[in-house]
Amino acid sequence: MDAPRPAHDPEFLVNKTRVRVLGLSLDDAVKFFFGGNAFISVVVLTLITYFLFQEGFGFFGQNQRSLLTYRQAGLEYVDFIRTQESGHTALTRYISDLRLRQFNELTTVRKLDLEAANAQLAAFDEFSGQFSDGVDPLRGLLSDLTEQATAIKTKFLVAEDKKVERQQLVDAGKSVEAAAVKIDQIDFPAELKVLTGALPLYRTASAEFAAKLTAALAKAPTLSNPELATRLIRLRELTSDYIATFPATLRSLETWDYTRPVPWYQSATSFITGRQWLTASFWQDWYGIVPLFMGSLMVSLVALLIAVPFGVGAAIYINQMASAREQRIVKPCIEFISAFPSVVLGFFGIAVLGQALRLLSQQEWLAWVPGFPFSERLNILTAGCLLALIAVPTIFTLAEDALQNVPKAFKEASFALGATRLQTIIRIVVPASLSGIISAVLLGLGRVIGETMVVLLCAGNRIAIPDFTAGLAVITQPVHTMTGIIAQEMGEVVQGSIHYRALFVVGLVLFFLSLAINFLAQKIVRKYRISIG
Amino acid sequence: MNAPDRHVFQAQANNARRWEAAAVWVFRCATYSVLVCGALVFGKIVFQGSQTVFTTKAPFINTAFFTESPETLHVFEFEGKKMELGDRDFRALKAANPAAKDLRSETFVYSAGGIFPAIAGTVLLVIGSMTIALTLGVSAAIYLSEYATQGRLVTAIRISILNLAGVPSIVFGLFGVGLFVIFFDWNVSLLAGWFTLALMVLPVVITASEESLKSVPQGFREGSLALGATKWQTIRTNVLPYAMPGILTSSILGIARVAGETAPIMFTAAYAMRDKLPWEDLTHYSDFVFQGVMALPYHIYVVSSKIPQNEYTERVQYGTAFVFLMIVALIATTSILLRNHLRNRYRW
Repeated sequence: MDAPRPAHDPEFLVNKTRVRVLGLSLDDAVKFFFGGNAFISVVVLTLITYFLFQEGFGFFGQNQRSLLTYRQAGLEYVDFIRTQESGHTALTRYISDLRLRQFNELTTVRKLDLEAANAQLAAFDEFSGQFSDGVDPLRGLLSDLTEQATAIKTKFLVAEDKKVERQQLVDAGKSVEAAAVKIDQIDFPAELKVLTGALPLYRTASAEFAAKLTAALAKAPTLSNPELATRLIRLRELTSDYIATFPATLRSLETWDYTRPVPWYQSATSFITGRQWLTASFWQDWYGIVPLFMGSLMVSLVALLIAVPFGVGAAIYINQMASAREQRIVKPCIEFISAFPSVVLGFFGIAVLGQALRLLSQQEWLAWVPGFPFSERLNILTAGCLLALIAVPTIFTLAEDALQNVPKAFKEASFALGATRLQTIIRIVVPASLSGIISAVLLGLGRVIGETMVVLLCAGNRIAIPDFTAGLAVITQPVHTMTGIIAQEMGEVVQGSIHYRALFVVGLVLFFLSLAINFLAQKIVRKYRISIG
Repeated sequence: MNAPDRHVFQAQANNARRWEAAAVWVFRCATYSVLVCGALVFGKIVFQGSQTVFTTKAPFINTAFFTESPETLHVFEFEGKKMELGDRDFRALKAANPAAKDLRSETFVYSAGGIFPAIAGTVLLVIGSMTIALTLGVSAAIYLSEYATQGRLVTAIRISILNLAGVPSIVFGLFGVGLFVIFFDWNVSLLAGWFTLALMVLPVVITASEESLKSVPQGFREGSLALGATKWQTIRTNVLPYAMPGILTSSILGIARVAGETAPIMFTAAYAMRDKLPWEDLTHYSDFVFQGVMALPYHIYVVSSKIPQNEYTERVQYGTAFVFLMIVALIATTSILLRNHLRNRYRW
């Protein structure tokens, strides 16, 4: 026990002298260094989540206040009337469409010259003039109220700014200056009297409007063409439906109450279900993700519809059918396509593909294709085609890997039973690697939905939900996307403003969407992996 | 019934075989149409771009395009001739010629001069971010392949890497804005761009490095350890030298990705236009990393979206796209060829 330990353990001849710093040998230090570096990926993922939340989370509070102001300043009240007015605008658009059709028929079928055709349409023009003028009393009232509501809102915002200014002065310790900042107290009930007081005016205006519409319709001319005549009947129906909504508008105006609180969840639901993304407007900014999400979704779907047959088809061909030499040549070529920078593809879309597709759509013999001809050069289809070129290499590489992993014995067994090559591929190889192929498609989707430059340059950048009533022609409409809106607006927003934070929330949605797609892809691979043996 | 000279085992032309032949052709067409599309895009840009980049007179390369800064193009009529001049030459002409004083011109921004600052900026961005990414990525890969044992931490790291690989590049851009530009207060700078790009490409580098480390046979390590070397000595002398070529080649693909991305640098590092070159007029050496730069991909975005398309602007648009595509394609081809070469060389 007491005996001193021998300096060297006699059992071992080799003795590694180790320098220890802070209790760590060199080896340990190296290990920790490498481990620390490896840990960085975890840190980065956490930081991404944290910073997206940190910058984005304030959006919900700010949006809540914005919605509250919208109600308190009476903007909501005025918007009831505005909705009613815009309904009328839709009807007049229907009428001018009707006139255009009639005009076309007169000039092309009955071969009238322009003046004669216009003369024929004089009665119709009178009717349409009456119909569209009917809204005048309502429109006048609306523009008055709009001005008043804007004034209230401005007053309120100025007061809010002053409050912030005072708080900043107080924080800076300048209490005298802070006291000097004058804040107008907004007396909402008194201010809103102007708006609510206009209710009797609205009643008369609305009644007059309804009467004028009915009168105008009663004098509607008859159209000779049976198809156009049914359209006119449809217009009558639409108008009477429209007039039937007036009492509901009146009721919402009567029961409107500016003190009704905005529930806490509404700022989130108005973001998730909002159908408008409207920024920098004089009236009210709306941050609704639906149009952007639908845009991203439509573009990605079109891209996948094109890319999946080609990507998976090429993978099957290269892996199962092609000769070794073909494999050696084609595989690097497809990998090479994946190296095309997306911004170059986007430029190609603007410079060449958009125009080429439009020209193609205007060919006579392609008129049967839904949506053809189209006039917008940049639309879902243009962006989708280019994104497909981006997605094909991803899908090809991953699907090829999956096919490669199918055990040889499966194939041999199938051949031994007398199946042909095609039968083996379709019944054995593809089903066996289906999980891998599906996850390849999912990862392709992830790649496409997160792609920025192509959609920013080629999707048309119109912030609107695609009009699905157009059927398949929907793919020829321009849209805006989640990635595109961030890239486009991030450079222009004020840091910390509600718009800035809204963009971060869109980023957050994208981030979690990509995580979900990734997770699903991994899960599918792991769950349905082929076990050999 | 059968033709008499038919061999018993000869393939019979039945329906199944006809179907198969048809199917092979369908799949073959799918494959080659992808290649044709790629070739069309590539060919169009090469064809149009080479008209800007190459000239018919010696030295056959438009050197001004590679060495000058972008300028505004002036198109005007002077003394009965239609002329096109860059901004500087146009001013010089006005100063030299009294008759030209009130000359009116049509202007197109960025359409004259060259793209040298953008090339320089891209090179700087790539060098810096790849240095960071390789340091972090190779170390991480060494840990994962040599040291790590199955455990919660390693599982977490692997899951993070997998998920990071799927995060859209624009989200990395937002993250770069949040962390580097605002939180660290680096503003729009090379440094912010370096880190944003490096973190974006990190999963690629880690996965590629780990793969080549894993392909070094276990016997190499065991032999070294049996001779009494420490773990670090083993890695340094017996693993890394054999894995390094593989690591570097696969990382070249990472370079192609870094050079090609626009979204992450839009708000972290790139300026649409900057007169000074990155190494000019520095008051302090640290200013170098705290300045924004022009970058080729961002320049393409700017010239293709912010200026109209016509015969005058087309030259710079296609020229820039051509140069950029060539750089990226060169990097990618090198990587693909080297990798195929290595695969054949090392067979343990």
